Amino acid sequence: MISMEEAMKKPLPTPDGDSAAFWKGLHTEGKLLLQHCRKCGHIQYYQQGYCRQCGAEDLEHRPASGRGKVYSFSVVYRAPGPAFKGDTPYAVVLVQLDEGPRMISSMVDCDPEKVAFDMPVQLVCRKAADDITLPFFKPL
Amino acid sequence: MSSKSKETIRGKAAVIGIGMSPVGQVPGKSPLWLAANAANKALADAGIGRDQVDGVLCGHAFAAPFHRFSVALSEYMGIRPTFSNTLQVSGATAATMFNIAAAAVNGGLAETVLIAGGDSLLTGMTPDMALRSMTESRDQQYEMPFGIPVSNTFAMTAHRHMKDYGTTAEQLAMVAVTQRNHALRTPGAQMTKPITVEDVLNSGLVTTPYHKLDCSLISDGGAAFIVTSAERAKSLGIKKPIYIMGGGECYTHEHIFLMPSVTTTGAVQSSKLAYDMAGYGPKDIDVAGVYDCFTGTVIMVLEDLGFCPKGEGGRFVQDGGMTYGGAVPCNTNGGLLSFAHPGIPGALFHFHEVISQLRGECGQRQVAGAELGLVHNLGAGFATAATTILGTENTL
Repeated sequence: MISMEEAMKKPLPTPDGDSAAFWKGLHTEGKLLLQHCRKCGHIQYYQQGYCRQCGAEDLEHRPASGRGKVYSFSVVYRAPGPAFKGDTPYAVVLVQLDEGPRMISSMVDCDPEKVAFDMPVQLVCRKAADDITLPFFKPL
Repeated sequence: MSSKSKETIRGKAAVIGIGMSPVGQVPGKSPLWLAANAANKALADAGIGRDQVDGVLCGHAFAAPFHRFSVALSEYMGIRPTFSNTLQVSGATAATMFNIAAAAVNGGLAETVLIAGGDSLLTGMTPDMALRSMTESRDQQYEMPFGIPVSNTFAMTAHRHMKDYGTTAEQLAMVAVTQRNHALRTPGAQMTKPITVEDVLNSGLVTTPYHKLDCSLISDGGAAFIVTSAERAKSLGIKKPIYIMGGGECYTHEHIFLMPSVTTTGAVQSSKLAYDMAGYGPKDIDVAGVYDCFTGTVIMVLEDLGFCPKGEGGRFVQDGGMTYGGAVPCNTNGGLLSFAHPGIPGALFHFHEVISQLRGECGQRQVAGAELGLVHNLGAGFATAATTILGTENTL
């Protein structure tokens, strides 16, 4: 069980050996890095040590275009705990990136109730802490 | 993945005792008390003493700090098992415990296994803390920072199902209405007032497309079972042992964004494994417990278990397919939506209900002639799926 004090704070990522480059890319360059497998060509999100398709270690980080479409979404009216209560309603989106992979994010700079299936969206980087920038999306 | 092994657990293990604590709002009782209370009832039902238990399997409890709940429960009850584990595959944990217990009692790891769970999500925690604790199960780097409730992962799958197959909000609501009607016949159910489709649609949005009444309850409670080998069940003179006929599991992803299909779940494969092992198919199932954390979950899983074609789950429910007189009465106790949902014990209640149906002990909610039952558990945004098929002696 987490403490009430912890529950009041928004959860932030703690980068690890697999993901350090990803979070650095967002924070220092405003770029969403995807991993491209040099062996089989698979493109993957999120960052890890092996290609999930062929198991190779020969992975290269390349910035994504930052464009995609809303594959599915859900507008949150009842927050998952106290930290997000002030933000409701907000739209959590399952974004299908133009490069292929899907990712979870939430929408900014728009009316959450106007979010729709297949809506084109664009990456927005927002600083969330001194050393962390989060990837959000806005309508394109 | 067809035939894993010819030597299976089919019919070789039996549930010989079942028990349930008080459920719903149970103030002043710890998760361990709830589990132990259910366990003592299961032991009494089986007619054996706790000294005869040599295996203990449990799930975790949100409101209790124990990393090894099964070990803590053993100590609490004065049991010293020689086989024990605390399993964690979220909502699918219950069925995995039955599958593993069946293997354990046939592989020489244990003779008599106690399966138990207890938690107090309702009175042991505030609603805010209960929801946040569940959210802690999402990935801290790629999911949690975006304020994604566990409900949201399921909501996004149902939402896409609505887009792809034309499933309607009214059809989702019909799952809640059907199960509420079932709960009205279940003594001890947390929800006791009938509801209509309009009630569900007017109950306030939680996370689209789900309204409050599309979501399962937050409850206290515990359930427990005694599993032993079929041989030992016979030598103990158990009146109506219920046999574990088949089991299967499937784990398709961890992160919701890596779910291979957002609208088809691991139930397709877990149930195929269970059906193949049991030697039965969906048409043979008399009664089912289908994990119902949300209404849309039931519709998707009814399809994936083969009770209706893909995409027709909404219509199946609307036409009465999941209630008495339909193709397969499901969640006859009211399920997680209307009976109770204290976390891990929630899916154990599905086992309790299906086993009670097979024993013919369900009174006014008895499914006439029920011989073969199926329980499907799932969790973590469909990351985990586990199916168990249970049957009476006639199905062996």
